[in-house]
Amino acid sequence: MSFSPLALIAEVTHRCPLHCVYCSNPMQLASTSNELSTEEWTGVFQQGGKLGMLHAHFTGGEPLARADLTELIATARAAGLYTNLITSGIGLNEPRLQSLIDAGLDHIQISFQDSREDAANWIAGAKAHAHKIELSRAIRRHKIAFTVNLVVHRQNLDHLEEMIAFIEQLHPERVEIAHTQYYGWALANRTALMPTRAQLEKAVAVIADAEKRFSGKMRIDSVVPDYYAKYPKACMGGWGRRLMLVNPSGKVLPCHAAEVLPGLSFVNVREKSLDWIWQESDSFRKFRGEDWMPEPCRSCERRTEDFGGCRCQAFLLTGDANVTDPACSLAPSHHLVDAAVYEANAGAEIAQPTPSSSLVKLQKQTADLWRYRTNPE
Amino acid sequence: MAAPTDTSQPRLAIGCRWGPTAQSGKEETRMILFPEGAIKLQGTGKLVLERCDGNRTFGEIIAELKREFGKTDPEKIRADISMFLEQLQTKRIVDY
Repeated sequence: MSFSPLALIAEVTHRCPLHCVYCSNPMQLASTSNELSTEEWTGVFQQGGKLGMLHAHFTGGEPLARADLTELIATARAAGLYTNLITSGIGLNEPRLQSLIDAGLDHIQISFQDSREDAANWIAGAKAHAHKIELSRAIRRHKIAFTVNLVVHRQNLDHLEEMIAFIEQLHPERVEIAHTQYYGWALANRTALMPTRAQLEKAVAVIADAEKRFSGKMRIDSVVPDYYAKYPKACMGGWGRRLMLVNPSGKVLPCHAAEVLPGLSFVNVREKSLDWIWQESDSFRKFRGEDWMPEPCRSCERRTEDFGGCRCQAFLLTGDANVTDPACSLAPSHHLVDAAVYEANAGAEIAQPTPSSSLVKLQKQTADLWRYRTNPE
Repeated sequence: MAAPTDTSQPRLAIGCRWGPTAQSGKEETRMILFPEGAIKLQGTGKLVLERCDGNRTFGEIIAELKREFGKTDPEKIRADISMFLEQLQTKRIVDY
């Protein structure tokens, strides 16, 4: 085994002022009282630096909900890591931004839910949109790299061009257009979120055109959602191959959703070192390499590219984490994904909430459409 | 997007910085870190980017590398480096 971890995903808290319906956090959130302390996180970053990791991605929940975030960024940077803050921006003002930059923050990513204020707040379940715009302007007054992340799905893809034009005037260096991935909250809300094939095809063309227009000025990163792809995604660059995620209470996971997998126990940084967990723990070794692979993966020439796809998706859709990702067109269980795609294209209406300044009213109109992400105890 | 001109002053784009140095055989490699990843540099690529400091002009960088690679066709050096920088600019790793 010659892999060494390249990046640390630091889920510093599961607390969040937003309630996005596609949140990538597990439905079972880590409790606030059990969060790692400043000192414990410092130890994690120092170990990461020694292991040769290059990046620390600060995420949550909302990382700004941690009062010690500036200190955490400083210790990660001192440990030699490139520091990336993935945030909604709620809890950030210009003085705090300045202190994060002074602490060595390399890059900030703000997610937007939509270009239209009522729709954005409706998806986030919170009045956050106006603040995000204000904050994006503040970011441009400082010398820091800025990415805008836009999550796209059935409810907003119809006006993707408008959303890209909106992002353009925020002047980020980079835009990430991310299709919803169906784990946790997004899987529970899949019917409301899954785009139609027509929406997807139009989006691909719109993005290709934008890439051309903004070339050299604003980089656009996007991928086709796996339910509509021929082959599965190389989830996390392969299990236990590149990344380690430390959750708010110190559990170390190979990916965001891994806690749903039955029969795996994840070791805590309070008990063992990152190095030991990477090299020795059963959970990181379980799906590393090719020994675990079933057919058709085992004899497939793509196995070194997609590593059999996503273990969590395999489990969530089939009940068995050991099978080929059903998103793969060669998977015996691919009919499960086909059925979801069929349903998404069977003519179910796309909710068109009447524009309304009242978030409460909008949420009432669509009360049966989806479940909002809750907060940890 | 246009290729660099003689007076362009290439530099690492915002959010990109040098990371750790490592030894790969006899050669020293260096990483450039950026938000979503890193690239490992060695050989000519490393020589070029180490000169992209925002002060030297593209013309000066070419002149320095011509001295380094006396035997190579100067036009080829210029064309290769120009294309290299243009590609990195599209990826938002270099600005000029």
